[in-house]
Amino acid sequence: MAVVDVHRFAESITCHAWSPDLSMVALCPNNNEVHIYKSSQDQWERLHVLEKHDQIVSGIDWSSKSNKIVTVSHDRNSYVWSLEGGEWVPTLVILRLNRAALCVQWSPKENKFAVGSGAKTVCICYYEQENNWWVSKLIRKRHESSVTSVAWHPNNILLATTSTDGKCRVFSTFIKGVDTKDPKAGSPAESKFGEQILQLDLSYSWTFGVKWSPSGNTLAYVGHSSMIYFVDDVGPSPLAQSVAFRDLPLRDVLFISEKMVIGVGYDSNPMVFAADDTGIWSFIRYIGEKKAESSGASYSSQFSEAFTKFYGQSKATTANEASESSKSRGGVHDNCINAIVSLSKAGSPKVMRFSTSGLDGKIAIWDLENMEEELGHQF
Amino acid sequence: MAGAGGFVEADNAEAIIARIETKSSKIESLLKQYKPVEALKTALEGSPPKTLDERCKSANWIVVHRALMAIKDIEGMLNALDVEYYDILMKYLYRGLSTGDRPTCDQCLKIHEKLTDRAGLGCILRCLTDTINTV
Repeated sequence: MAVVDVHRFAESITCHAWSPDLSMVALCPNNNEVHIYKSSQDQWERLHVLEKHDQIVSGIDWSSKSNKIVTVSHDRNSYVWSLEGGEWVPTLVILRLNRAALCVQWSPKENKFAVGSGAKTVCICYYEQENNWWVSKLIRKRHESSVTSVAWHPNNILLATTSTDGKCRVFSTFIKGVDTKDPKAGSPAESKFGEQILQLDLSYSWTFGVKWSPSGNTLAYVGHSSMIYFVDDVGPSPLAQSVAFRDLPLRDVLFISEKMVIGVGYDSNPMVFAADDTGIWSFIRYIGEKKAESSGASYSSQFSEAFTKFYGQSKATTANEASESSKSRGGVHDNCINAIVSLSKAGSPKVMRFSTSGLDGKIAIWDLENMEEELGHQF
Repeated sequence: MAGAGGFVEADNAEAIIARIETKSSKIESLLKQYKPVEALKTALEGSPPKTLDERCKSANWIVVHRALMAIKDIEGMLNALDVEYYDILMKYLYRGLSTGDRPTCDQCLKIHEKLTDRAGLGCILRCLTDTINTV
């Protein structure tokens, strides 16, 4: 198995982020606080508790170059925390939202961050040197429902968003004075703030977890209908693929190489997807060892009880799956995994380590060092 | 879709219903020849999920129902069915279960069990979350 470390930090974890040197992790234990833990000799020690928000902290991101933590919460606020003299000092960011903030991500250059909200808007915040505060610009158009996830393209200007209206959109977030226009790339459309570059209508249900590939050429996002969508050559004529898979829906994805994606979700077991040489994406395997292939139904004991009741009426006899509990499915996590975070340097083409956190309160660290053979040449 | 397509829909609907009538007679003949699997395949092909018209959906449901009730060998039927039809079949199974009619529900439950074995919970999820392409 590829798991290197598992630790249960709380009852349930909403989101987490790692420090630049990967020695500390900031997480929200499903309340209004952010806890920072440091690992030392196999023990995790709680160093700081950041208490400023009034409601659950829904997103945390830790910038690797400037060492700042940004947190967003259901209380419609955001704070940027800087380390000053061993203590984390918050700076309020006025987002001008009238609904909860749901997700946040620092841009690759860390001069901006994007916040998705339940107010059907995306806030792009940048630092204004003269007034010494963070200003937020809103993308109000286009979204018909809550914005569940945001992802920055490596060029620091394009932003992909997913929403509960089932669509994935790409916007330009060019801000005069903060971004520099790239002379060789970009059409005029790309240099207007809030301009929608692309809208993808592939899904009929809520969409989550959008991510760009390391080069920015491919986009991946998941739909709540147990589907994952891949879009190659994002631009005027994109190549979209919808991959339906057997099991419960995913919540988040991560590109571990240009052609390989790991998805995590309600099955509590990361799934590997890869594109073959012709560019067709498909499900490869679960990351842990999966037992008997699709011949037997690998239900957890919870499901088999429910199904026996359901089918009991028709007097059909089901093979008794009650013995096979969810733990034996390769189970590191016991409950839904809702976040997957890369542990490699930002911008590197291959991700060798990543961490997952979930509703069971555990964070697991996975290492792909020895899995190159098993995963195949796309890795 | 509904607005400008109001008049066009009606026309389209008639065409679809006519197609369903032809399908229905073909299915009857297949059933007489004891080929229930073929019958179900024919019934599921060309299911009109994109029509908003309730009559088309009901007409197609009657045809699918006829073929479903005639199936005795469920494993064999699922073996012969292409993977792309699993999602549509699942939607019809749920429609069957919603009728509350005892023999229909019995049959649908039996098929549901085997289909879930093969297609997994993802198939059920796709059926539940897709509110646009309903049967």
